[in-house]
Amino acid sequence: MKTFLQFLIYMLLAVVAIVMGVILGDYGSWYFAWFVGTAMIVLVAAAGGAWMDAHDGTVDETEPAGH
Amino acid sequence: MIDSTVVELSRWQFAVTALYHYLFVPLTLGLSFFIAAVETVYVTTGKAIYREMAEFWAKLFVVNMALGIATGLTMEFEFGTNWSFYSGFVGDIFGAPLAIEGLMAFFMESTFVGLMIFGWKRLSKVQHLLVTYLVAFGTNLSALWILIANSFMQDPAGAKFNPVTMRMELDSFSSLIFSHDAQAKFVHTSIAGYVTAAIFVTGISAYYMYRNRHMAMARRSFRMAALFGVLATAGVITLGDALGFVGGQAQPSKLAAMEAMWQTEPAPAAFNVIAWPSQEQKRNLFEVQVPYVLTPLLTHTMTQEIPGVDWIEADAAKRIANGIPAVAALKVLSKDPTNADALAQFNSHQQDLGYGFLVKRYAPDQDVEKATPADIQKAAGDAVPNVFAMFWSFRVMVGLGLAMLAYFVLAVIFSVRNDVENRKWFLRLAPWMIPIPFIANEFGWLTAEIGRQPWTVYGLLPTWMSASSHSVGYMVFSLIGFVTLYTVFIVIEMTLMVKFIRKGPSSHGHGDHAPPRPALGGRAAAVAMMRKED
Repeated sequence: MKTFLQFLIYMLLAVVAIVMGVILGDYGSWYFAWFVGTAMIVLVAAAGGAWMDAHDGTVDETEPAGH
Repeated sequence: MIDSTVVELSRWQFAVTALYHYLFVPLTLGLSFFIAAVETVYVTTGKAIYREMAEFWAKLFVVNMALGIATGLTMEFEFGTNWSFYSGFVGDIFGAPLAIEGLMAFFMESTFVGLMIFGWKRLSKVQHLLVTYLVAFGTNLSALWILIANSFMQDPAGAKFNPVTMRMELDSFSSLIFSHDAQAKFVHTSIAGYVTAAIFVTGISAYYMYRNRHMAMARRSFRMAALFGVLATAGVITLGDALGFVGGQAQPSKLAAMEAMWQTEPAPAAFNVIAWPSQEQKRNLFEVQVPYVLTPLLTHTMTQEIPGVDWIEADAAKRIANGIPAVAALKVLSKDPTNADALAQFNSHQQDLGYGFLVKRYAPDQDVEKATPADIQKAAGDAVPNVFAMFWSFRVMVGLGLAMLAYFVLAVIFSVRNDVENRKWFLRLAPWMIPIPFIANEFGWLTAEIGRQPWTVYGLLPTWMSASSHSVGYMVFSLIGFVTLYTVFIVIEMTLMVKFIRKGPSSHGHGDHAPPRPALGGRAAAVAMMRKED
């Protein structure tokens, strides 16, 4: 159920993004590109960090939830 | 007429303060999103090292941001003090984005940056992450509104001259914020900031790795910044091309100067890789060309003609002649706004009003109606910016951009192979790369702003008309004052940065003073070390 809800949320986000892209169309297409591009750059960089930890199999220093 | 020395000193003052200010801005734009990326990993993995990283880079971010704000505030006052005619003429349009920047973006970033720094113990992880993203969006929104205002000066969209109030008035807010120049400039500039931050982070991380200090943080920061940087550099180059395309259509004189193209050539024109332009002789004393490349590069076609300096001057002369009746009509309307004949004359020539103003300084008694063909020709010559400065500032920016792309490609390869620490030459090179994006950013700014000359508002308001009528002494005194003050700011910034970098993360001791490197090579050594330290 949780996975399904996550899927729905991501689908909704994708639909919103596509609709925004269509509506902005000729007017704000580069602003939209900035938004998408920035998100991608941030996420790829974040994935790089997570990837390093996953590959190294480092000692877990995970904090308890909340702090 | 305002003393030409005062106008020059006003230009110098703005250029100097803007160049100082612009040393701080790009790092703020990029580092904010880099910190957000680091904190995203912290929230998703829960590993303490990422919080330590986020806190460390945030410390450097705040130092930089504070000095960026301090140097930026004075610039806004300069519009009123040194460019009062300009402010009166276009204040209706120029003021709107600046006001929104102050009220929305600046307040947003300033408010949330406090929470970002001091809120670690008071907010949950997700709340803090949200705050960090809001800081990043706030800083970039600041840049957005400033660049919308600047873009109006480059490509005045969404405004109309009102002959009754004798000033430009906002006609369409959406045209102003969605102008192609505003959009292209914002995406190019903000992503250049990301590149700056990525080089800054990789440089400092490489310094730590070279010194074998704070290894856990340095390796992760390096990997993340290398990926952040390689994508951002590819983006900034692509978007730079887009900006050149848009700018070329809106400002053909800037494009002709940037490419040192003195004569309009049939398409496809040759590209000057290197040249030594001479403004006096209106030709390149020396040039190395690649045939057929310029036209597809600038127009994305093989057939579209690119106007050269000869075309720019001929067009300016025509437009000056057409603009003179508009200026003359304006003189009548200033005394009698209801004069229908003058209004009709103004309306039929208003598209060249700015060009009419351009000849005023050469016309006898500043009466444009007395301007001779020689005066018009002289004013038309002014329509071309400084070709040498444009040509070389553009090439320095582009050359450094390509060098940074090569650097990031190597950084990613070495980091992904986990053998960056074995590349001592690369670790030594990385800190020396830190000034490169700052230099590229400064030259980018020079390209944009020198290329706009002789206009403060392209095609509408000549620079020589825009300044305030101060004394030369006042301008010299204030210029020296600004240079002194801003130099002190830079010294403070550098001192604080070096102090924090030397100290490193206020750590839980992660990887600090790591044990001697194992006698293994390449990836195996790196993995072994990481396991040991982490």
